[in-house]
Amino acid sequence: MNKRAVGYELVVFVTQWGLMLIGFGILTKFVAPLNFLNPNLSLGLYFDAAAKGLIALILSVTWLFIWDRQVRIYFHRRGK
Amino acid sequence: MASLGANTIAILIALGSFPVSLALTRFFMYWNSAHEIIGIDVHKLDRPKVPEMVGVAVPITLVLFAAIYAITEGASAIPLLAYSLVVGLAALVGAVDDRLKLGGIFKPLLTLLCGLPILIIGLMFPGQIYNSTLHVPLFGGYHLPVIYPLTILVAVSVTSNTVNMLDPLNGSMAGGISIVAGGLLVGSLLIGAGSMPIFLYASLLFSLLGFLYYNRFPARAFAGNVGQLSIGASIGALAILGKTEIASIVAIFPNIQNSFFFLSRIRRFTEHRELTSKPTKLLPDGKLADSEDPRAPLTLVRTLLIGRPATENEIVSTIWMLFLTSTSLAVITLLLTGVIL
Repeated sequence: MNKRAVGYELVVFVTQWGLMLIGFGILTKFVAPLNFLNPNLSLGLYFDAAAKGLIALILSVTWLFIWDRQVRIYFHRRGK
Repeated sequence: MASLGANTIAILIALGSFPVSLALTRFFMYWNSAHEIIGIDVHKLDRPKVPEMVGVAVPITLVLFAAIYAITEGASAIPLLAYSLVVGLAALVGAVDDRLKLGGIFKPLLTLLCGLPILIIGLMFPGQIYNSTLHVPLFGGYHLPVIYPLTILVAVSVTSNTVNMLDPLNGSMAGGISIVAGGLLVGSLLIGAGSMPIFLYASLLFSLLGFLYYNRFPARAFAGNVGQLSIGASIGALAILGKTEIASIVAIFPNIQNSFFFLSRIRRFTEHRELTSKPTKLLPDGKLADSEDPRAPLTLVRTLLIGRPATENEIVSTIWMLFLTSTSLAVITLLLTGVIL
């Protein structure tokens, strides 16, 4: 077993796990209670959901970007 | 005590899926060999021929035991029907792909449809299949009446395809997903989940162990897309039925990393067989090494091989260790779901 790789992946996984919990926390505490559009408006509920979905998508892409950087740093260090 | 009894019976019934999966795997090994449904184990020097599509034993066992559980325990047949349809549809997509070699984009598109039974039956029987409230560890939860039903389709497609992408070595998928199913089973027991998700996680675990017996190094059976997609779809469906959405994402971190780095380098949906630049190479001593090809995707296996060639067995052990790590985090996530800061 490659203990060094496992150790590094452990750090990456724990970091991503922590970030994921924080991200879901932001969505729960700050984004979900917001009302971007009046839900009584025609399609207001759907536009409101789409706006919140977009914020969740941006957070997800940021989360993947941080994951990408972590693994690439390891890849380039070990590759040289 | 009543709940403990129901869970114990659920696990005891699910235990039966181990010998059934084992027997079905053995049957399909011979049947598929006899019908020339074979693949080549490219990570061995002698390139042995191994029966393909043997993973079909797992979805057959899962559907069979879901029916047995519904009949013997009088459990609500509606969620079990939705689960069986999802697993069956994903197996069908996988079988078609195995036989007809669909292009890279068709598999994600077709597997999007595999989540439809949960969505449609859930709309027909509100509250019996899924609950649109997402429970978040430490922060409570929020209701997603519009987004949640739509994410069901994406969830099943993502889990089935990501499981499909991390099965390059003998036992890597079956062993890894066994660890995930086992961990989520333990987590579900610890948080006092209902007996149905506990049964389904146990059934998935024991079915996979039956298949793993023949799929472990040196493999005598390959899962094929039929096995990989249906097992992945099962994880996705269970995340929704068992309300383990966030924990399931955490448990499949190794799959997510592998798929993300594959797609970010290749920048399109494609099949491994269509890749011109391979991420790994086989050395004359039988070890696997990083191909050092800058155009090749940075798969999880390649990450583990950087600067250090290893035997197939070593790499699979490492992958299992990564699944053990991510599944431990998933169990902690489940335990934290009931805790609010």
